[in-house]
Amino acid sequence: MKKLSDLKISISGIRGIIGKSFTPRLILDFTQAFSTYLGKGKVAVASDTRPTKNMVKHAVFSGLISSGNIPVDLGILPIPSFQVYVKDSRANGGIEITASHNPVEWNALKLVLKGGRFPFSFEAEEIIDIYQQGAFRKSEYFPMKEYEEDGFKYHRKRLLSFADIESIKKKKPKVVVDSCNGAASPYVEKYLRELGCEVIAINTDPNALFPHSPEPIPENLKQLSEAVKKYGADIGFAQDADADRLAVVDEKGEPIGEEYTLALAVTSYLKYKRKSPIVVNLSTSSVIEEIAQKFGVKVFRSKIGEINVVEEMLSYNSSIGGEGNGGVIAKDVHLCRDSFTGMALILELFSKSNKKISELKAELTQYYVKKDKIKVSLKESILIMEKLKEKYKNEKLNLKDGIKIITKNFWIHIRPSNTEPVIRVFIEGKDKSEINSVLSDILSEIESLRR
Amino acid sequence: MQNIRISSSGIRGKVPEGLNINIASDFASAFSTYLGEGKRVGVSIDGRNSGFLLSDAILSSLSATGSHVCFYKIMPTPILQFLIKERQIDAGISITGGHNPSEWNALLLLDENGFYLNSIESNEVFNIYHSKEFSKKSWDKIGKIKYIDAKLDDYLKKLSLFVDVESIRKKNYKIVFDLSNGAVAKVIERIGDFFNIESILLNNESLGRFAHNPEPNPENASQVSSILRNFSFNAGFVFNSDGSRVSIVDEKGEAFSEEYTLPFVAKAFLSKKKSPIITTVSTSMMIDYIAQQFGVSVFRTKVGQSSVTHTMEAKDFILGGEGSGSVCIREFSNGYDSILSFLLILEFMSIENKTISEIKKEIPEYFIIKYKVPVTPGKMYGIIHKLKERFKKEKLDLRDGIFIKRKKGWFNIRVSTTEFILRIIVEAEDEKTALKFKDEIDEKIWSIL
Repeated sequence: MKKLSDLKISISGIRGIIGKSFTPRLILDFTQAFSTYLGKGKVAVASDTRPTKNMVKHAVFSGLISSGNIPVDLGILPIPSFQVYVKDSRANGGIEITASHNPVEWNALKLVLKGGRFPFSFEAEEIIDIYQQGAFRKSEYFPMKEYEEDGFKYHRKRLLSFADIESIKKKKPKVVVDSCNGAASPYVEKYLRELGCEVIAINTDPNALFPHSPEPIPENLKQLSEAVKKYGADIGFAQDADADRLAVVDEKGEPIGEEYTLALAVTSYLKYKRKSPIVVNLSTSSVIEEIAQKFGVKVFRSKIGEINVVEEMLSYNSSIGGEGNGGVIAKDVHLCRDSFTGMALILELFSKSNKKISELKAELTQYYVKKDKIKVSLKESILIMEKLKEKYKNEKLNLKDGIKIITKNFWIHIRPSNTEPVIRVFIEGKDKSEINSVLSDILSEIESLRR
Repeated sequence: MQNIRISSSGIRGKVPEGLNINIASDFASAFSTYLGEGKRVGVSIDGRNSGFLLSDAILSSLSATGSHVCFYKIMPTPILQFLIKERQIDAGISITGGHNPSEWNALLLLDENGFYLNSIESNEVFNIYHSKEFSKKSWDKIGKIKYIDAKLDDYLKKLSLFVDVESIRKKNYKIVFDLSNGAVAKVIERIGDFFNIESILLNNESLGRFAHNPEPNPENASQVSSILRNFSFNAGFVFNSDGSRVSIVDEKGEAFSEEYTLPFVAKAFLSKKKSPIITTVSTSMMIDYIAQQFGVSVFRTKVGQSSVTHTMEAKDFILGGEGSGSVCIREFSNGYDSILSFLLILEFMSIENKTISEIKKEIPEYFIIKYKVPVTPGKMYGIIHKLKERFKKEKLDLRDGIFIKRKKGWFNIRVSTTEFILRIIVEAEDEKTALKFKDEIDEKIWSIL
């Protein structure tokens, strides 16, 4: 099997590599399809800080104007702030130009609908159908674009009324924040000060390149860890390029792991805000079940993908949830992954509990996670998944998204990737050597099913 | 009427049914690919409704294919041409429908000296456009996009070298300008102030609907005329939407044919400096009279800015223009500049102490008929070919259609580059001769059809 095309058209929008598939023509067409779907009105447009943002943005403007929509240019804005803007400004929809945690050569259009949420799958199918048919609305009149100076205003207002500023101010935590020179760069330092923190901001230059890969995983947190130690900070925060995901470093400079970002945020919410069922995706750590048990609330697990978590939060009337990759969702601010919300919750927990970040993590069970992938063709992957389902039919299974096998000591989640020709395997358990041996067994089993 | 035309100077069409954002994107990509990596391209629009629609697609495409963009927003083409040369920009795209109605637009390609591309260069761009083989640049090689609010200082400074500023200032002229909702509206106040002109500005709002077609001619000068008839002003000028053409209205409100602009400016310019004149096979012989007065020669080329200005360069002549109301002074810039044109006229008025109507009296009145004959697509060049046979006894000038000069006049029959029509222009010393020419042409065309 050859490499798949770098171009990905999916439920969350369209993504590709600049200089390969992600061309002005493609952006014009896809924007026109979305614009046609939206009907006429104002459409917000913002970007993260990638060097290709203006090239993409002008094609987006042209596509919107062509179908009679009014683009509202918000400049550089984090994706959660963008979603809140679309909701509170009552725009007809929005397009954020960001490839999130992907490296600098990528870019993407993320589509946001009225009310500030991502499309559900049936809505995305509709948009993709218009795109594929090329059935775009052609306007005879071409509206002028508008400019918004302060796109962060609505998000800021919601965050400041959500956060317990009084408690944080009293404690005055010393915080180092690393925005990876991403979309949060112009806003995060001021925000943390407004919450009552003493702030040291690194990598908050929106005109600079990403100083490291913008995925907030431990290997990209070295600079942050060093700074936390150097300044004797209480906590370090790292955001990805579009600021939906959050990673945390403790006072010793140790990354606590993205799974524990969500765990601490959920703990804070249940303890200080209100009780609510929790919604997380299938691959999120079992530490969430422990927390839920402690507070006497239920956990619901959704398919992978932010919008699926959001959809289940709506249907279970849940106000807290997220993803184990550092994506915290609190309905109070907005139903989207939001690193700013995550920071507010963790700072509140830190300030009120009077415990260090390392101590707060130590109170939770330490789970071990291993991830791996096997190269398979698209055809093979479907066959392999069917065979695995048959083989493990007597185990406790969750088949919402691939196969999740749940045992007493560990769980394994196996699913075909929708971005690469691979099958991804996640395993989590308390015993490190046990999960290592189970993982290698599973990988060789998948290998044997190929023939 | 056809919705899109690829012509020597660029691509032109009705938006969106002919010229749309995909075509604009591909055309800009082709031009950028033609230019090569890392070139600076100046871009401007003329104030029509589709301007930003097309410029956004073009900015994105230039950047993606590796060209850096200097976007001047609404700006007259002659000033873009001027800036390209003065600031060592590598190329330009003027997004302008020129004199076409509001729903039209066009992409005009400019070289590093501000010239329209010549036919060989633009052919290469079209070949790349049709092949769709555009260069693709990775994230670190794509072009930067800069928005520029051009200061007019350089432009005014150079104008001061070409026209006697003090002489104009002293007169405190009162002028009515009709900007045709085009790009000259962006700069006219600054220029008026600089030359101490008191003015009334008509149709000076951009991006709205056009009050009239932006073609400088008597029909579109009626608003200016009515003001001049009733109030005391020195002159009126009507511009096209990108500021490459201008027509004149005298102090009494009489609107002149656009054919008068070239002889007026030539008279003004030649009174200061002698130069042979380049014009087209479709321009009034008034220019021959002026040339004779000053003892200079007239050389005729194909119709269009590209042919006229490139011939000027080849022959190293500094004065050229055509009967559409366009003049180029090549020492100033390499484009048709309506602003320099009207200022040269004001300068001449101030130095000679004459009114517009007095200057007009010094130019002989000829009788001119411009008309068009609709033809089925695919038959246009065939008719011209057959007409050559019918006129073979005479001396034919075949640089653009058929041009025949006779004792008391001349005529030109050519294929339009924008519509499926033959454009015919007949001019003679008197009406009778002109009508005789017309009858003869019509009879020959009908016998072929």
